[in-house]
Amino acid sequence: MLGGLAAGAALAPVWPACAKLLSVGRRQVDTFSLSNGLQVVALPSSRAPIVTQLLVYKVGSADEVPGKTGIAHFLEHMMFKGTDIVGPSEFSRVVSKNGGRDNAYTTYDSTGYYQTVSPDRLELVMRMEADRMANLRMTEKELAPERQVVLEERRMRIDNSPSALLDEVVNERLYGQGQPYGMPISGTVADVEALTLADLREFYRQHYMPNNAILIVGGDITSEQVRGLAERFYGPIPARPVAPRRRPDHGASGLPQTVSRADPRVREPRWSRHYLAPSYNKGESQYAYALQVLAQLLGGTETSRLWRVLVVDGKRALSAWAGYRPNSLGLASFDIGIHPAASVTMAEVESAVTAELGRLIDGGVGNDELERAQNQMLASAIYAQDSLQSGPRIYGGTLSTGSTVADIAAWPERISSVRPDDVVAAARHVWQPQRLVTSLLTPPSGIR
Amino acid sequence: MTTRRRLLGAALASTLVGLPTAAGAVDIKVVTTRLGFTVWLVQDKSVPVLSLSFSLPGGTASDPAGQSGVTSLMATLLTDGAGWLDGQAFRQHLEDAAASLRFGASLDRLGGSLRVLAATRDEGFELLRLALTQARFAPDMIEQRRTQTIASLNQASQRPSSVAARTLMATEFAGYPYAADPDGTPDDLRKLTAHDLERRAAALLERRGLVIAVVGDIAADDLVRRLDHVFGGLPAGAPPQALPAWTPPTRPRTVVVERPMPQSTALLALPGVLRHDPDWYAVVALNHILGGGGQRSRLFTEVREKRGLAYGASSSLRAYAKAGLIVISTASANERIAETLDVVRTVLARLRAEGPTEQELADAKTYLGGALSLSLDSSPAIAGLLLSMQVDDLSPDHLTRRDKLIEAVTLDDVRRLAHRLLNDELLTTVVVGKPAGIVTDP
Repeated sequence: MLGGLAAGAALAPVWPACAKLLSVGRRQVDTFSLSNGLQVVALPSSRAPIVTQLLVYKVGSADEVPGKTGIAHFLEHMMFKGTDIVGPSEFSRVVSKNGGRDNAYTTYDSTGYYQTVSPDRLELVMRMEADRMANLRMTEKELAPERQVVLEERRMRIDNSPSALLDEVVNERLYGQGQPYGMPISGTVADVEALTLADLREFYRQHYMPNNAILIVGGDITSEQVRGLAERFYGPIPARPVAPRRRPDHGASGLPQTVSRADPRVREPRWSRHYLAPSYNKGESQYAYALQVLAQLLGGTETSRLWRVLVVDGKRALSAWAGYRPNSLGLASFDIGIHPAASVTMAEVESAVTAELGRLIDGGVGNDELERAQNQMLASAIYAQDSLQSGPRIYGGTLSTGSTVADIAAWPERISSVRPDDVVAAARHVWQPQRLVTSLLTPPSGIR
Repeated sequence: MTTRRRLLGAALASTLVGLPTAAGAVDIKVVTTRLGFTVWLVQDKSVPVLSLSFSLPGGTASDPAGQSGVTSLMATLLTDGAGWLDGQAFRQHLEDAAASLRFGASLDRLGGSLRVLAATRDEGFELLRLALTQARFAPDMIEQRRTQTIASLNQASQRPSSVAARTLMATEFAGYPYAADPDGTPDDLRKLTAHDLERRAAALLERRGLVIAVVGDIAADDLVRRLDHVFGGLPAGAPPQALPAWTPPTRPRTVVVERPMPQSTALLALPGVLRHDPDWYAVVALNHILGGGGQRSRLFTEVREKRGLAYGASSSLRAYAKAGLIVISTASANERIAETLDVVRTVLARLRAEGPTEQELADAKTYLGGALSLSLDSSPAIAGLLLSMQVDDLSPDHLTRRDKLIEAVTLDDVRRLAHRLLNDELLTTVVVGKPAGIVTDP
């Protein structure tokens, strides 16, 4: 017998009390700013003798201009090429010699550099990270091979992958050619081949400064220690004027559109839909939390609506999913994807999904499925606390896209206060043809 | 819903329990249950979460003849309905308990992991017990998973990294059980019946050789009681038949798999050592210097940093029950991959001839000393380490002895192993793409 489940049903804490308690921040978080404008977040946790420094610049590929795409990512690579006091390519070597690891990433909205070390080495990596904020040296000698590395990275992630190539076209159609999210993060091959040292230096000068960055330190260290080290190493770097970031209020015009790619490297077709959607910070952002719950109950797990109807009951799909990421400075997208079963045409998939979306809007959302989705989302927030790496990443991604520490603290409560009608209203708002790009990935024999 | 309210309670609990566990020390308790199961336990109350991992001998390499893929498919189906719960109901119960339960098979072992909130552990343990002892193997779920597996094999047959990995195993282990695809062949998968799957589950899910690791917020006496309930339903069983010894290839071999890609993906393998080998940590240091941990190895420096030939150039050790490998991985544009592989072979030849420098070995020791604790950043990661220590027959105090073992590695040890292992007469090379100037050996 499933004794545990029965026993669970007997417990009945009072709901409003829980709701109130949810709004209490679960991590210890201390945040402050230096006088030069550097925002600092400390996430102390003495679970393990490890500390992670993440420095996020509020600049990403979406801050580039057409003709110079790929520059944010190229600069991220060049940041490892040394300063006056750290030799070319010494940065990671020093971290490794000290028993640590380091890396970096570039997204549409941010560029992040991180190291994980033992607490007694935090001073070292903070000194080096602050050093390359102000004193990066780039030379032609370092640039030439690194350009090839960047192009090989693009080949690996994009050009060798039919679905990644199609997704680049989807973003161009959804957000508009030459618009911030319509340009690829890795840049076009032609642009990356043409970028000069002068381009990279200018991008570095415009965007890399303390008042355009967020320092996040998580792990076995106190907030006072973080403050002391941050003031000592980052404090002396002067603030400089930074241009406001621009993200359009609208996506591309001329929607709906369908894009397709027939590719000999595809054996299993994929059907997907991408709707322009508000983010936490752009568009009708009051729908953002309801859209997150909507994505979860529509296609977040193998008990979601799409999976149940298309995979389990109808056997028309091998898998089905929905996704929505509102952590974005500009507009976001609400995505639905299906891998059709062998004998099923793209048209059949389309009509099945359309019927399912209509059923949700007309028939509404049940309390049980809503609470199950919310339950899964709250659990993921608790499990995230179990990983020391996840804290800095969550704060870095959120604070670089216009949200605040308070928003992160309030997230569980905002998710759990979404009601069935909110979900339907959000779906109505986003599932509109003038927001839609459909994409079809097929073998060369074409669309079934 | 009640479960949800309890979840909110758990969220609250973690606010109050901000108290740290002792920093640094991973305090392993070895506990034996009334039925004789041994579990390694690390108690940690800092997050209201519980992670359990376990494994048993017997994996995909011992799939019965003509039934390739049966172990992997069986492992997947264990969470697709059990007892009176069909597939959907089983998953809903897992979701309502905010639990994650997964089974999977490696070449040598069958394993599972449960992650659950301390507040919903009753449900989590009960679902684990059902999956282990009363899995349904219902026809509709078998069909669903079979079709998904075949589709994913189809797509993997076009993904360069997957094709390279598969071809490497098929080439290096030709004629040995490790050569087969762990997920099976589409032909074999199509023939598998519910009876085959049930028989495989019965053959593997036994008490013999079971190892268990638990990390999180639970008292030892509570855990012991629950483990006896969960695993006590399994039959005692007899040890599975061990695989025969593996004879490594004795000549070099290059295999090209043509695919219409702009970039060629390459994997190179050399025979390494087994985990029990007294030279294990010397080989770990050698691998670090060659292409391991972090970004500043010889391969990284020569292939990426100096020449810009690839985004990645790294090496890693694989320790299977019956074979050890050193595997090098890189990828370059089709017209440059031949040059990249020349550079890789030159790096191997030089390290073999000259050995590493004192400085390289000293740096490797510092890194390897710290690297393990950097990876212990979550309870599933710690549970995974405790489990692998048991599989490798290490003692619970290994974590304190490990530093000394690494420190004891000498330059002569690493030179000796570089000379013995980095032998290009034993090198298997796999290239996937349209590489210019590289062909399959006849």
